Amino acid sequence: MYAPNVVREVPITVVDHSHTALSRHYIRLIDATPEIAVYSYTEDMYAAKDQMLHGEVFGVLYLPRDFEQQMFRGEESVFPFYASTDAFLYYEALEKANLQVMEAMDGMYRMQLVEFLTPQELLAVASRQAVEVVGTALYNPDEGYGIYLIPSVLMIIVFQTLMMLVAMMTGNECKNRLLIPYSRLKCDRNHVAMSLVCGKSMVYFSLYGIFSFFLVGLLPLVFNIPHKASLGVLAVMLIPYICATSFLGLTLSRWYTDAETPILGIAFFSIGLIFLSGVSYPLELMPWYWQAVHCIIPAAPAVLAFVKLNSMEASLTDVHSELLILYAQTIIYFFLAVAVYKDKLQQEDTNYKHS
Amino acid sequence: MNAITPFVVVFRRECYRMTSRRIYLASTVILPLLLLFFMCTIFGDGQMRHLPIGIVDADNTATSREIIRNIASVPTFFVSQHYTDDVSARRAVQCKDIYGYLSIPKDFESRIMRGESAVLNYYYHYALLAVGGEVMSGFEQALIPVRMAPIMLEAEALGATEGSMQTFLLPMTSDDHALYNPSLDYAVYLTLPIFYIMFQILVLLTTLYALGSESKMGTARDWLQSANYRTMVSVGGKLLPYTLFFVVEALLANYVFFYWLRIPMAGSIGLFSLISVLFIIATQAVAVILYSLFPALSLVISVVSMFGSLGATLSGLTFPLTSMYPIIQYVALLFPLRHFTEAMQRIVYYGGGFTSIAPMLLVLCLFPLAAILLLPRLKRILLIRRYDTLE
Repeated sequence: MYAPNVVREVPITVVDHSHTALSRHYIRLIDATPEIAVYSYTEDMYAAKDQMLHGEVFGVLYLPRDFEQQMFRGEESVFPFYASTDAFLYYEALEKANLQVMEAMDGMYRMQLVEFLTPQELLAVASRQAVEVVGTALYNPDEGYGIYLIPSVLMIIVFQTLMMLVAMMTGNECKNRLLIPYSRLKCDRNHVAMSLVCGKSMVYFSLYGIFSFFLVGLLPLVFNIPHKASLGVLAVMLIPYICATSFLGLTLSRWYTDAETPILGIAFFSIGLIFLSGVSYPLELMPWYWQAVHCIIPAAPAVLAFVKLNSMEASLTDVHSELLILYAQTIIYFFLAVAVYKDKLQQEDTNYKHS
Repeated sequence: MNAITPFVVVFRRECYRMTSRRIYLASTVILPLLLLFFMCTIFGDGQMRHLPIGIVDADNTATSREIIRNIASVPTFFVSQHYTDDVSARRAVQCKDIYGYLSIPKDFESRIMRGESAVLNYYYHYALLAVGGEVMSGFEQALIPVRMAPIMLEAEALGATEGSMQTFLLPMTSDDHALYNPSLDYAVYLTLPIFYIMFQILVLLTTLYALGSESKMGTARDWLQSANYRTMVSVGGKLLPYTLFFVVEALLANYVFFYWLRIPMAGSIGLFSLISVLFIIATQAVAVILYSLFPALSLVISVVSMFGSLGATLSGLTFPLTSMYPIIQYVALLFPLRHFTEAMQRIVYYGGGFTSIAPMLLVLCLFPLAAILLLPRLKRILLIRRYDTLE
């Protein structure tokens, strides 16, 4: 879907009132950047604005009448560059490309301006060098968008489909009264509930063990998104993740009365989960109650842990906090699920006796 | 003339059904309000401020401390840790304790003083794209004065004025303007569109459930009968109560966004409300279309949740649509969300009037027409009931 993965050749329009060799040079350079394509030349800002309104261009470069004069008169030549913020990725690409062109042009013409310097200034320029500032993007060197989003989406898919599966099974179970035989068993109800929860989870687990290894182990290989974690490391994270998810599903089954209704609810939350996981907007800046929700839903810490392990080649100790949350969830939801099932068995038993 | 038309009968029947089960209360009232609350609060104050970063100062001189003070004063950053070497800083990034770090190499100051080239390295976390971008631009901005500082200082020491040096070093300066969202506020950028993305999923699912539950519970024939077997009337009367609920909630959301959160709005709020109403109707029509095509409830739920999430991608909100492959751009035309997003951007950002969004309005009106064309098929499906037991 995000196949080209990076933003390239964003169309802009140029309002060139300068009509000089310098302005043409600038336009040629900006057209040559990978990020920007000069889509059109317009007469004035009104026409440029009109093109923006119709979604034809996403930026406007305005070169004023005195663009060249200012420069060769030894004054600072300022020109405005407008970039649309419809999509922040466009804005970032445009701003970055324009900045690079500006720096390149400044470098090219600087030596022609030496004549405006006083001898002292010339000495300063000659005897000192500028500091070079180098920024390095970690973990996503080609700055791709798919690389960033797809791993989180994969984890959310595992969570959502497993929740749906549990909802479908338990919803049908409730509707068709499948628990009655178990509720009639003549042994400790705690024991029966625990066996039910364990037995069900075993099935989900074996199914999802295969499915999630295909999804998070194989798909990244095929689509060439980062796959830095070994399968063993992933397993340490996936085992509590799948267990916690299926126990959570079984706990929530307390309120499921048919197969379809809960699925509707679960499907609704997909996009919200991506936000809660903290990959798109930093967790630290969210209000405390959403941070608390982050810790309750297994998908949120799991996404974070997966991104760390798989895209950033973190070791297991680096994800200890997420793992801790996941294991805690597994234990808590296990006991809750057992309690819920005990309750359900009790109910079925009384219903049966009444009828 | 009968005072109670079939339409009213179906409408009343649906209102009765809506009060009979909790799921309807949840999907028409509780979830939309929860969603509104979520979108209003999730971004905090919308500005990425106080992002934890680290510093590796191997130089430990007056110059390096000056740079660190500069960095610490940038509102985007919060210097949470000083590290002794790059390795430990890198580990901290890996644990996501910090989102980036600045590394000042050994003898940085002495190289500057000797007039040799000196390098400052900063690293930012780009596996998390949004935060990474913010950290990068924060560093770039904060380090601009540092770049030219040695030359400027020397010139000043030799008695030159600051202004002429500045002009010499940066003869042409770009004055960048972020249109529509000058403070690059995430709340302004995402709240409105993400709300509608999630809202459309809810509208799709609820409409679908309303339709699907009839055949699931075996009441489809009763439903059609109450409208004298006129499919148009029965579907219209059935969906109208939901439409009313969703429209009221969309208007409430618009009110909250534009009057409480003060999201900048260049165009007319009335026009935007009109398009959100049309969007809801078009989305409901899509649900009818999808249900007519895939009449098994459990199957169509999966189709719809896929459709809803794909819509989010194809709306072109986060990753620009024009940067995707052309075939995908054509597929996107099938999603009402795509047209809605485009119209929304034109109204909210560019201050577009009625004429500029007329094409999107027209396309949004096409969805209900397409749904009407499929009604005969829907009727056949409901009467034959072949798919009822299909799981």
